[in-house]
Amino acid sequence: MIRFLARRLAFLLLSLAGLVVLTFVISHVAPADPATLAAGPDATAGMIAAIRHQYGLDRPLPVQFLLYVEALARLDLGHSVATGHAVAADLAVYLPATLELVLLAMGFAVVAGVALGIFAAIRRGGIADHAARILAVSGIAVPAFWIALILQLLFSVHWRLLPIGGQLPVAVAPPRPLTGMVILDALLRGRPAVATTALVHALLPAFVLALPCLASILRITRQEMIEVLAAHYVRTARAQGVAPLRVVTRLALRNAMVPILAMIGLRFGFMLGTTVLVETVFDWPGLGLYAVTSATSADFAPVMGATLAIGVLFMLATLAVDVLYALADPRLRVS
Amino acid sequence: MRRRTLLAATTASGALAATRANAFVTQGKRRTLVFSGGQPVPVLDPHVKYDYSTRMMQQSLYDALLKYVGNPPRIIPWLARSWDVSKDGLTYTFHLVENAKFHNGDPLDAEAVRFSFERGLKLDKGVAWMLKAHLDPSQIKAVDAHTVSMTLKQPFPGFLSFVPWWFIVNPKQVMAEAKNGDDGQAFLTAHEAGSGPFRINRWDPQAAMVLDAVPDYWRGWEEGAANRPAGVIFQVIREPAPRREALLHGSVDMITDMSPDDYDALAKMPGIRVTDDAGMTPFTVMFNCAWGPTADVNLRRAIAFAMDYEALIAIENGHARLLDSPFPPALEGHIAVPGMPRKNLARAKQFLARTKYAKGGLTLDYLYVAGLEVERQVGLTILASLKPLGIKVNVQGVPWPTVMARGAKAEGGPAMIGVYVTPVSTDPDVVASQYAASAAGSYWGMHHLADPTLDRMIAAARVELDHAKRMAMYAEIQKRIVALQPAIFGMLENRRWAMKSDVEGFVFSPVRLTGEVDFYPMWIKA
Repeated sequence: MIRFLARRLAFLLLSLAGLVVLTFVISHVAPADPATLAAGPDATAGMIAAIRHQYGLDRPLPVQFLLYVEALARLDLGHSVATGHAVAADLAVYLPATLELVLLAMGFAVVAGVALGIFAAIRRGGIADHAARILAVSGIAVPAFWIALILQLLFSVHWRLLPIGGQLPVAVAPPRPLTGMVILDALLRGRPAVATTALVHALLPAFVLALPCLASILRITRQEMIEVLAAHYVRTARAQGVAPLRVVTRLALRNAMVPILAMIGLRFGFMLGTTVLVETVFDWPGLGLYAVTSATSADFAPVMGATLAIGVLFMLATLAVDVLYALADPRLRVS
Repeated sequence: MRRRTLLAATTASGALAATRANAFVTQGKRRTLVFSGGQPVPVLDPHVKYDYSTRMMQQSLYDALLKYVGNPPRIIPWLARSWDVSKDGLTYTFHLVENAKFHNGDPLDAEAVRFSFERGLKLDKGVAWMLKAHLDPSQIKAVDAHTVSMTLKQPFPGFLSFVPWWFIVNPKQVMAEAKNGDDGQAFLTAHEAGSGPFRINRWDPQAAMVLDAVPDYWRGWEEGAANRPAGVIFQVIREPAPRREALLHGSVDMITDMSPDDYDALAKMPGIRVTDDAGMTPFTVMFNCAWGPTADVNLRRAIAFAMDYEALIAIENGHARLLDSPFPPALEGHIAVPGMPRKNLARAKQFLARTKYAKGGLTLDYLYVAGLEVERQVGLTILASLKPLGIKVNVQGVPWPTVMARGAKAEGGPAMIGVYVTPVSTDPDVVASQYAASAAGSYWGMHHLADPTLDRMIAAARVELDHAKRMAMYAEIQKRIVALQPAIFGMLENRRWAMKSDVEGFVFSPVRLTGEVDFYPMWIKA
């Protein structure tokens, strides 16, 4: 197991190095000058040059890269040219908002996806199964931004049931940060009304974020459950009179869980990427919105910081799944 | 169990109802004005950055020596109750009001003014460009507690027109928070040290800025203490559709950054008022005057005469007027330039015949900021307008940073770029200097025009102290610019805001940036 972990960690570090190179190159080959944008339209050439110098943008690209890597080793993600803020400090503010949304979405996707998948497998060929399969296909096929706009139109504009965006109504002061997650902080600070309001604000974005993940989990759960439920040992258990619920939950689901876990890990990463779209549509002040705002002003350091943060979380999720996978299936450790 | 379910359902429905309610924001009996736009406010430091949303907040938190008000814009005394100018036009002496104080109670004195101007010049960011060529920090003197003098390097009659954007910060507060020689930049990014009518309650750069009114504001409240709002909230809603809905739902009192169609639709809604005033932001299509086919002035003239100008007004649903000069009418010295190009295909062909493209057969790039619908439609108008000349147009929408990057260099740059230009002052030099060779490569100077005669005219007019003579010089400058045709001088969009009908005190002033509002005189009718 230790060798397995070491191998995975080495691979993770290699991937991280690749990600650093890739984000740096993509950010810097873009035909844009962050100093000009940050200085504003009226700035003189001297003012722009001063900003360029202050942020080292006047140095050769390889030197900029080496300095970036050196700073990265000190966990210094640089400063935004547009705002002067330290990127690491910005991430500390925006990452929890994204995590809160992702965790809500993931929780919903896992519970609903697994439950619907089991139900569809048990009722294979029935109306429920067909409905589940339609949901599974459309959940993956329909773009997140489109479904977000449609749901906004229905729930917020026509029916006026849910807020159109934001994390809280503008007049409601958020709780003093403990974790940075508003719902959790509101509960910890003893403000349940604020927590409820924040939860209501999170419903639409979390649902949109959850949908593709839910669809994938539903599909794989259904598929695995159908296979496992047809296995000899399940048939034997049924013949021995084991209760149907116990057969499904303890016997079938447990054995079907390994690929489902892998899918959850994979989808967690995708979900982090989708936040860029969802947070923009719903004005959710998280990492995705931060990345988009920075990208529109060609602000390299925040874009690279946000990409790295999402990349690292993705890798950690994949590592966690690999470990769980290995724990569940000893053959993987050997191979 | 049933009771618990009922409780949960009640809580949830209560939260939903709270979300749905058209409840305006109140503090006691006072209402808070909620304004929404699409652009966040990432930096508050008044000497580091300004754009419409940022300056709207800065103007609320800080005061300046002078202030722009009304339409046409006038400069009125503010922190300076009066001022004198020496006969040689070099020394400006400001006499300060004696009751001004910062939010923390410190008196606002001459030293604070000196410190603020010195800081702005030293940081060399944001507002610095306005005065750095004319004012040396060592020439700013606090004569006594309530008198400040500034001696310019050379006469500059436009000096006062920039002073309203130099906000005064509290030196004690700023220097107490300064770190690593940053002159308090890190502190003032997220905090304020001002004396303005509002102070910060809460600031989330991505979402909202909540300001509380200062009840004992040194200048008092023009609408009367009873009408004074509890505060102002600037809410960032990036997409226009949710912003419009927020206004219609009643959760927001006033919005900006909408399309002409949206404003027209909102104007028909009950309880909504839409303003419609001539702005000061010319929309021009800049030519690349230094490289490629448009380096030939005859081709530029040909295109200018082929342009369908009336289509520009139609794009704005009629809420615009054609430019009759490179200067917007609100600028001092503006004249309607005789012979301003209007659609005239015969003349266009005459000019084209003087180029090596007499029969057309060339393709020109038109670049615009992707997502700006008006700019895209202008591109399509150019495309249709130039067809009779045999000129094809490649209309390209690209992100804003790419527009800036591609326009910065003449060589290899696009032939045409759609540009909105808002002058920050009413002095004619602010627009004239955009056509000087020294502007080449900047946002304003993406035309890369280099005309030594024009440069000389601009330099001479800048320092001329005789007002009448100076205005006559600017009349000639406008004619010269039009003759050089560095741009298609398009239109002047009307400035529009949509607000609930109970919003009072809104005063339009075209010198403010597009979308920018002065919150100080505003309140909500009870």
